[in-house]
Parts: sequence; C-alpha cells; structure tokens
Amino acid sequence: MTSAAPHAGPRPIALDRRGRLSTWYALLAAGLLWGLFSFGYQWANGLAVTGLTNAVTWGLYIVVFMFLVGISAGGLIVVAGAELLGSDRFEPFSRLAVIVSGTAIAAAAISIIPDLGRPQMAWQMLASPQPMSPLIWDMLVITAYLTIAAIDLWILTRARPMPKALWVMAVISLPVAVLVHSITAWIFGFLVARPFWNTAILAPLFISSALVSGTALILVVAWIVRRVSTWDPPDHLFADLGKLLAWFVAVDFFLLSAELITAYTAQTDHHLAPLEMLFGGRLAPLFWAQLGIGVLLPFVVYATPHLRRRTPLLVGAAVLSMLGVFAKRVNILMPGMYDPQVSLAPGIPLGRPGQGFGIDELYVPTWVEYGVVIGITAFAATLITIGVRRWVIPAGSGEATSDS
Amino acid sequence: MREEADVLGTLLAGDDPNEGAQAAVERRPVIEALPPASRQWGEIDVRSDAPRWGMLVDTERCIGCWSCAIVCKAENDVPLGMWWNRILTDGDGLDTPSRDEHGRLAMEWLPLACQHCDDAPCEKVCPTAATYTNEEGIVLVDADKCIGCRYCMAACPYGVRVFNWGEAEKAPGVEEGMVQARPVGTVEKCSLCVHRIEDGQQPSCVVSCPAQARIFGDLNAPDSRINRLLEDRGGDRLLESKGTEPKVRYLPPRRRRSL
Repeated sequence: MTSAAPHAGPRPIALDRRGRLSTWYALLAAGLLWGLFSFGYQWANGLAVTGLTNAVTWGLYIVVFMFLVGISAGGLIVVAGAELLGSDRFEPFSRLAVIVSGTAIAAAAISIIPDLGRPQMAWQMLASPQPMSPLIWDMLVITAYLTIAAIDLWILTRARPMPKALWVMAVISLPVAVLVHSITAWIFGFLVARPFWNTAILAPLFISSALVSGTALILVVAWIVRRVSTWDPPDHLFADLGKLLAWFVAVDFFLLSAELITAYTAQTDHHLAPLEMLFGGRLAPLFWAQLGIGVLLPFVVYATPHLRRRTPLLVGAAVLSMLGVFAKRVNILMPGMYDPQVSLAPGIPLGRPGQGFGIDELYVPTWVEYGVVIGITAFAATLITIGVRRWVIPAGSGEATSDS
Repeated sequence: MREEADVLGTLLAGDDPNEGAQAAVERRPVIEALPPASRQWGEIDVRSDAPRWGMLVDTERCIGCWSCAIVCKAENDVPLGMWWNRILTDGDGLDTPSRDEHGRLAMEWLPLACQHCDDAPCEKVCPTAATYTNEEGIVLVDADKCIGCRYCMAACPYGVRVFNWGEAEKAPGVEEGMVQARPVGTVEKCSLCVHRIEDGQQPSCVVSCPAQARIFGDLNAPDSRINRLLEDRGGDRLLESKGTEPKVRYLPPRRRRSL
C-alpha cells in the first residue's frame, strides 16, 4: 500500500516486510515480558493476587491448560490422520501442523506452572509420584506427545522423504493423542465431589472439542502465514479442512447435547444446580453465545460449499470455533467449581484475611492471571513464528533475515 | 531500620515459617505444661494396640457456639481468613433459623471439618503423595511434598481444605499455636490434632466443647465411648452416597429443637 509496488503479486504484501517482522517480534517480546512480570508478581505475593478462593480453587489457568491441550490435536489430524487413511492431501500443511501442535502442547505444559502454589516444588512429581493421580498420568502422556511432535518435525524436515518412518509415527501417535485428551478429561471426570464433571462422556467430549479447535487453529495459522509470506498452499486445502470441521463441530455438538439432555431429564438435585447455571444462571450468556456464535454460525459456513470456499470467511468461522471451544472449557470448569456439595451457611472460608465465608462467590480473574495468559500466548506465538520461518516458508524468499 | 534488622535476624535464625521444608505437624512440648486437671480432662478414654481414630458429633447437643472452631484456630496456628473447623447453620444464614412445613422455626448446626475418610478422594488424586493416611487412620498433609496444585480441594466433597493463598496473617496479640505454621502455596486441613493424640490427649475441639457434643476415640477399641455410642445410636455419614467412608460420624437429633 505504502511505497510504489512495481508489480502486483498474487497477494498484496507490504514491501517493508522486515519492518513488519520486527514490529511483530517487538509485540511478542512485550507480551512475553508482561507475562513474566505478572508471574513474578504472583511468585512474590502468592496466589493471593489471583481471583481464586477456597471455594473456586481452579480458574483461568486451568481453562487455558484444557484449551491448549485441546488445540494440540491439529498436527495429528493433518499428519497421522492423512497418513493412516492413505491420503497425502494435506501434505503441504504437515510441517506447519506439527509445529503448531508441538507448540500448543509445550505451552499447555508450561501453563500449569503458574497454577501451582509452589512451582519450585514441582520436582516432587518426579521424586514422589503417586501413581493413582491422573495428574501423574497427564504429565507422562504430555511428555510423550511432545516427544512425538519433535520426532515428527525431525522426520518432516529431512531432505529425503521418510514415508515409512512417518507411518510408524502415525501409528504410535494416534493412541497417545487419544490418551492425552482422555486423561486431561479424567483429571476432572474422576471426581465424585463434582457431579457435573463425573460423567463418562467427558473424555469423548474432550476429544471432539480438541478436533474442532485443533483443526481450526491450523486453518487460521496457515492462512496468516500465507498472507505474510511466499508460502502458498492452494485454496482448496482450506476448504477441505473446512469440510472436515463441519463433521467435527457436528460431533462435538452432538456429544455435548447428549450429556446435557440426559442430565437435565434426570432432574436430580446434583445435576440440576450446574445445569441451571448454564441455561439461565450466571453462565447463561457465555453458554448461549458458545452455542450460537461458537457452534451454529461456524457450522453454517463449514457445511455450505460455496461459503467455505471463501477462504477469509472460512478463517473467520475457524476463529469463532476456537472462541466457542474456549467458552466451552469455561462452561465445563466453572459449573463444577460453583457447585459445593455441602452448601449450608455461611459456606466455605474463602481464604484471605477479611474475605469471610462464601457459598457461590463469583470468580473473576485478576490482571495477574490475564497477564500470565498473555505471556503464555506470546510464548506460543514466538515458537510458531520461529518454527514457521525456519521450516515452512520456502528459503530465499526475502523473508529469512533480520531480528530485533 | 529496626524492623529490617529484625527481619534479617529472623531469617538468619531460620525461624521464617515459610522458609525451607517443614513437617506439617511438629509437636511442641506445651501439653506437658498443662495443669494436671486439664490433662486428665483431655485424656483419651481407651485405646487398642492398633488404634483407628474417629469422631462422633452429637448434633443434638451442639449449640452452635463456634468454640471448637476458635480453639482449633489457636491450637493449629490457622491464619486469618482460614478455618480448619467451622459450624454450618441449617438455615438461610449464619444466624437465621430454618422454618419447617408448619412454619415453626428451628435451629440446627453441622460442625464441619475433615471427615478423615477411609477412602479419601483427596489422597487418591494427590500427584505427590503429600496427602496420606497414617497408620492410625488420620488423613494428613505433608507440607514438604505439597506443590499446591489444589487437586485435593477439587476432589474433596466436603470443602474442608484450605489453601495458603498468600503470606499468613495472624490476629494481633495471638500467640503461635502448638504446631508449625504451613508455607505459602500449600494446602492444609484438620489433622485430628495428631500432635495431641501422640500425647494421649483428645483433639482440642473435643476438649473445648462446652456442650460436650464431640466424642473422640479409638474405633478399634470395643469398649471406647465412641464405639458404644455408635452401637446405641448409629451415626450418619455425611454425603454417604459419595462412598468416601468418613471416620467422622454424626448423631442426628432425637427430638426437634424448636423456637
């Protein structure tokens, strides 16, 4: 737009790419610093600086953890899924998908650290593991998943294609991926104290949500990279991912409906309280927005062939899908947290001097929690940027130099 | 200036309760200083060779005075804003009675602390085995191992665990308790006054109850008062359907307490 472009390329790319890149890196650095500052502030003052209480003990950090584990599913769909189904349709996306997924799972592992009261004692999980705890299983399976992503990336970036190795990795990664989402679901699903979470459908539901948000993320990142670089995957690949998303969104919505309808028709006390919170209570605005804007609207785009072929529209729908899945994570965590099983007055001692007791205290994240999440997001974006520039964008495109 | 010097002195002496690792419960030789009459009043009645400790709360006797809750805070050095033990009111508020179908007012209380479950959900989910059951059936937290993930708090159906969100604050003029304070970022809860049991003494909430609504004893000793009462009057388990098998049991009121 700015100075004289000698010839119009296939897509308008600003000439001062170097400037845009350093602006982007500056933005990422600012986000990282802000996250580090927030975490440092929390480290110095304890989790007292969060909005959490003894009544709502898990909040934004855990929502982000669930979400990040979920969006790491994309790489598997594009690489392993295509590999095992004998289709190399998404092959142009495979490096990008593995980078994005590996980053997401690494960010998920990191996002659990600020939730710990004593991060400096986290080594106790290795020194004194308690094998019955789903947290231990999750630690193992996330490590495995991260390793698989690293090996996949190594294989994909060799000069000589290694189809056999890729196939073996696909066979290994499929069960690990199923486990990573299931175990993350079981962290919640095994708790008898939280009837809203204590349902067998939670693991399938986590898998379906992971498929939606993981595929949506690949679509969005691929589109951004295509806009700002010479990497040029064909349009029909985006539409193909959109078609896939139509199925994933439908299955995700079906599983959620099956659970909510079953629980609602049972009309038992311990099911009703959290459901009423979703249908007409404090979570209702988010819940109905999740279904309307996060499920229905994108589904129309994915399912209508001429709409999903309009790539910018499709990408917009994918962004809505990701927001919808994020809202769904909130709407899974909070009803469980807001539902004490012993709810007589005056309630649970909230935990800080002068805070008193509470039964259904509203949880509102503080700037510290938002700051840490911004930092984690910037961390993930940095890894993706570096990975994409190194392994996705074709070399010698004038994009490959300059930092700071 | 002086304050700074004091802080430095404390750090050098290693007295900072948040510094380094400490056992959740470390006995101090205070019980020995009690007058003989107090010691005798607090003694555990009978104990078997392999005791399994339990508590019975007689809700007919409870008058909702919160003595046990306050004494617990002092005994265990529980900071402001946190309670290991509290009294719930069956009504619309802390001091608002409930009303039955005939419109009669009634007041009932539910003293609530850790239920010391035989099948403790908190213990099963703890990733570092910081929460454990000792050989006498008491569910305890080893603050050395606690990483502060608060999974146990999500898993406990009774909501009796509290977390050290920030630096502990104490009421002005209140002395330290009988046990070591817990570090910031760890979970804590009722220990059934394990430091007193070692000394043959009942938990402080039992000793301090003016209505004698709490009965503590060895569930493995057939002649203990708690076992005799459990045989005579039964004893409800809170949220029995959760299958947690609590060792704290409740005697329901035999007659209605109306106003």
